[in-house]
Amino acid sequence: MNVELKNIHKHFGKVHANKGINLNIPSGTIQGILGENGAGKSTLMKILSGFIQADLGSEIILDGKPVIIDSPADAIHHGVGMLHQDPLDFPPMRILDNFLLGHSGGLFPNRTTVARDFKLLAEQFDFSLDPDSYVDALTVGERQQLEIIRLLWLGARILILDEPTTGISASQKSKLFATLTKLAGQGMTIIFVSHKLEDVEHLCNQVAVLRAGELVGETKPPYITSKLVEMMFGKVITLGERQATQAGEVVLSLKNISLEDVRLKIKNVGLEIRAGEVIGLAGMEGSGQGMFIRACAGLTRPVGGRIRLNGRDLTGKSYHTFKRAGVNFLPAARLEEGLVPGLNLTDHFILAEEPKGVFIDRAAGQKLAEERIQSFNIRGTPLSTVESLSGGNQQRAELALLQSPLSLVLLEHPTRGLDIESVIYIWSKLKERCRQGASIIFISSDLEEILQYSDRLLVFFSGKVSQPIDAGATSVEELGQLIGGKGWADMGDEHA
Amino acid sequence: MLKGRFGGFFFQLIALLLAFGVVSLILISVDASPADAYKNMFTGSFGSLRKFAEVLVAFVPLLLVTAGLLVTFSSGLWNIGVEGQVVLGAITTTWVFRYFLESDLPPALIIILAILGGMVGGAIWASFTGLLKVFGGVNEIFGGLGLNFVSTALTIYLIFGPWKRPGVASMSGTVPFPDEFSLPLLADLRISPWALGIALAGIVLVYFILQGTYFGLRLKAVGKNFRAAYLLGIPTWQYSMYSFLICGALAGAAGAVQVAAVYHRLIPSISSGYGYLGLMVAMLINYQAIWAVPVALFFAALNIGSIQLPILMKLDSSLSGVLQGILVLFVLLAEGVRQRFAKKA
Amino acid sequence: MRKNFARLASLALALIFVLAACGGQPTAAPATEAPVVTEAPAATEAPVATEAPVQEPFVFGLLLVGPYNDNGWSQAHYEAGLYLEEKLGAKMVYLDKVNPADRPGTTPDQLAEELVAQGAKLVIFNSDDMKDASTTFAKANPDVFVIMASGDQVWSDGKAFEEIPNLTNIMGRMEYGKMMAGCAAALTSETGKIGYLGPLINDETRRLAASAYLGAKHCWENAGNDPAALQFKVTWIGFWFHIPGFTTDPVDVSKDFYTTGYDVVISGIDNPVNLGEAQKLTAEGTTSFGVAYDYVAACDAAPEVCIGVPYFNWGPEYLKAVSSAIEGTWESQFIWVGPDWTDLNNPDTSSIGFVNGPALSAEAAAAVDAFVAELAGGLNLWTGPINLQDGSVYLADGEVATDQQVWYLPQLLEGMEGLSAAE
Repeated sequence: MNVELKNIHKHFGKVHANKGINLNIPSGTIQGILGENGAGKSTLMKILSGFIQADLGSEIILDGKPVIIDSPADAIHHGVGMLHQDPLDFPPMRILDNFLLGHSGGLFPNRTTVARDFKLLAEQFDFSLDPDSYVDALTVGERQQLEIIRLLWLGARILILDEPTTGISASQKSKLFATLTKLAGQGMTIIFVSHKLEDVEHLCNQVAVLRAGELVGETKPPYITSKLVEMMFGKVITLGERQATQAGEVVLSLKNISLEDVRLKIKNVGLEIRAGEVIGLAGMEGSGQGMFIRACAGLTRPVGGRIRLNGRDLTGKSYHTFKRAGVNFLPAARLEEGLVPGLNLTDHFILAEEPKGVFIDRAAGQKLAEERIQSFNIRGTPLSTVESLSGGNQQRAELALLQSPLSLVLLEHPTRGLDIESVIYIWSKLKERCRQGASIIFISSDLEEILQYSDRLLVFFSGKVSQPIDAGATSVEELGQLIGGKGWADMGDEHA
Repeated sequence: MLKGRFGGFFFQLIALLLAFGVVSLILISVDASPADAYKNMFTGSFGSLRKFAEVLVAFVPLLLVTAGLLVTFSSGLWNIGVEGQVVLGAITTTWVFRYFLESDLPPALIIILAILGGMVGGAIWASFTGLLKVFGGVNEIFGGLGLNFVSTALTIYLIFGPWKRPGVASMSGTVPFPDEFSLPLLADLRISPWALGIALAGIVLVYFILQGTYFGLRLKAVGKNFRAAYLLGIPTWQYSMYSFLICGALAGAAGAVQVAAVYHRLIPSISSGYGYLGLMVAMLINYQAIWAVPVALFFAALNIGSIQLPILMKLDSSLSGVLQGILVLFVLLAEGVRQRFAKKA
Repeated sequence: MRKNFARLASLALALIFVLAACGGQPTAAPATEAPVVTEAPAATEAPVATEAPVQEPFVFGLLLVGPYNDNGWSQAHYEAGLYLEEKLGAKMVYLDKVNPADRPGTTPDQLAEELVAQGAKLVIFNSDDMKDASTTFAKANPDVFVIMASGDQVWSDGKAFEEIPNLTNIMGRMEYGKMMAGCAAALTSETGKIGYLGPLINDETRRLAASAYLGAKHCWENAGNDPAALQFKVTWIGFWFHIPGFTTDPVDVSKDFYTTGYDVVISGIDNPVNLGEAQKLTAEGTTSFGVAYDYVAACDAAPEVCIGVPYFNWGPEYLKAVSSAIEGTWESQFIWVGPDWTDLNNPDTSSIGFVNGPALSAEAAAAVDAFVAELAGGLNLWTGPINLQDGSVYLADGEVATDQQVWYLPQLLEGMEGLSAAE
């Protein structure tokens, strides 16, 4: 089926997530969609699969006919099926029941017929799925297989896969690629969304790159990796001169740290961070850096290794112990994790202070709030609730909540979504902390920011962690390749 | 800010009128005059000093329960188990009274011990819900509901078993306690000024905890954003437990008053449903302590005033419950509409 | 925020169901009866101001433990109230379902005051469950006359005698009625197994269950059956009627009886739910019979399985007591009165009665009638030798029980199965 996207626009409030995207995908193509986090890939795919609606004036044309897709069910009716990053499933169900979901064939489907269809489809792609076992026993790769044959059975002619190679084994990946190639050969249209350059280069017949909501380029094989990286991350723009900091005593020492969650394993990371040093963590979202920074905060317990702070062993201690020892963590989700919606700025500053007695001295709290609001340049009043502040001001408020003195500040995306003025202001505040002897570890998906502000950096890719890289000795291109999973072999000595 | 507050008031007024409107329709559908029904309910609750005293008798436990629930709601917990906490307060109070039945201690002291005992009993019972939630991962709604059933079963076991009247096995309850074990009542009325004092002290205490203390602010932070509160350094699960304990103690005090000032013994339905009613009051006042007194008084008045309905109009007195329920629904609905309105504006 | 709101709304809905379940739907009573006093209070005045002018009828209040139309204990009282209205031109104000489950947060003395506020000068408390409250109320309101049905507070020979001048106890000698019920059951049962659906356990319920047993035993043996073949079992539910969540369900108890060979079940609770179960099981092929209780027309619920009903007729004694209150000749009394033996079912003279049910065979009916005649002739089944359930001697050979011995029967009798007191 031919897919034609014409002038796709999507606004979320003030955010312009898709800016007039035009894309043509002929039948039988495996189309790669590349882009960094927040580039607008997912928005575009959600529009095509009916989860969200594009702004007026946008057009989706399937096999020459303009269509309006207003729900996922409607999408499948038009032959569009989407496989999510986390395959949507209903764990306590049997596979066959899960398979039947979304099927509109009457109230009482004929289970025998369905079971036969299921078996035929599974055999066709060499998937070994037992229709009577339970979904929650499946691996991510098997869930994906189930989802693919379910969508095919429901009549999908266009298959959208969002980051399908995350969390599956190598053999499952090769089976997946074989399946996709076979399907494309049968005339199916495959849209493959990924940030993994290697996968895209290996599989796709053509690639489109999105950046900041725009389609910045389309290429066909042979691919030139450096060109793809440049398209993804844009031209080099400078934020001013790098400032190297004098490093002091060792603040944080990680020895053979191993971390695990359901998707990823990080093994044997060792790192020493000195006072005043800034460490940037680069990598596509979900590559392990979030787990790593939380381990540094005591929020995730390592499965192996030791964590020392200023010489004191804090392995296995809680965040509150870390906090008392001078570690503060500022999460990316400001209103979900960092601040308390419904409470005002004064409340927050009072909460962050040590209680003096039982009763709150409101006047003192108000005064404190006024001081902080002024010194952190927050646009708000002491009685403003945090949710009424803009993102930049929320971030400033979070910074204003940092305790003093501090040994280590851990930040997730400290400047995400902020205007340039805020970015510069926030970093000036952070650097002030460094001069006072604090170390900083931060996660960012903005490579410019990482190169600009960190002294050393770590690159994460699917749980692999690079050796510390001197920020002055690398470039956006090199980082972009590493983030995309290329060039690791050359590094030789990455962790694990 | 002011505009928003006024807007909220406007929507709640509409909700109140709608609730009365729906109940009026129900009344008309059974050929009863809504005006008469409301008039009878009003005179039945505020028509005389005696009736007002009865309203206060219902108001005391309701206010205590509401005060307790304000604490758990502030910390983001749905303490449905409050009903059982009232029951356990009553059971513990009864136990203390029985323990000192033959003692020479001054009755005033025994009464104080019994009421304190009730508060401890309620708090312990509430801590079970808290422990189930914190360490067992059992949602407090389910844990609380389960414990409510257990508390009823325990009451019945005690009344038919160890605490039965000699030679009797009846739902009627345990043997009434001697008069000196009663909280002193106002002359000729059934209300105890001491009970009223306990209830008012309870709500004032809660008001100050929530408005003016570090503890209250931290509780609110935990309730509004558990994750952020933890990252701000608040020991979150401990605060959840504290709020269960405070609510349980206040609910236990309600149960204690039911025994020491109203029934003077343990009966099977000693909580009289005040736990569930208190949940409605707490929801209706949107968790603001300042409104607890008038709204709890209003609900108590509906309960007492509705007794007139079967006597005078042959209507079922559960009409008051219907009115209370519909009122809460409409107020919540109005709040939802207001929020949508506010978002658009 | 939205999620919270949805949670809130669904919770509120759930609560409303809980509350509604506690009370049921608001319903209007049948408009045919129920003399309503709505016209009495003038709109602007407090209800107290309705203190009747001289020509106004005497107002009496009635507190019913169950629904006024329960086809049993409460309905019998309600009908007696109507009888008083008819005979005296008096006016009744009543409140039914006066129990802590149906009217949470209230006490009977408080509710009695509500009736006084409607002008009642005399209040009838109709349940043993309200005994303490009636004492409290009578003492607190010495100018209001109180009738406490089934109680013994003012029985000078009783165990808990108190002098309360404005209170009178009235109770019918239902022992006779129960004996007749037991007799009818014994003559009907094919299996010789009789079940007794007991309410809660106290003096009254023990002696009534024992009376039924004595009647059953007498007629069983008179008919020439093997004394050892008679089984009589009592199962208590915990209250006078079913309160879900608090008592055992009497329907289940009846069913257990019928399905385990007890082909006749005698109701001792406030309503004849055993009849409904008997009807159902008979239709399914298990022949089952029931004896109703309390209310003269109780058999109407399921006539084809009802073999009789011993009932209270409160009218005559209430008439005397209320008249004495009106005329100023009131005296605090303990009244425990038997049937009018010359006319067992006379509504104006007999305080208890027994009606043979449609399901009672003609032959059995004749035997029951003969038994009634024997009782009228002076037969007293409370005559020794009778042992208590634990084997101890209750009445020596030839000894006749005193009123106190009967009223305060400490245990069930030897030969009866079931609990004598709570475990």
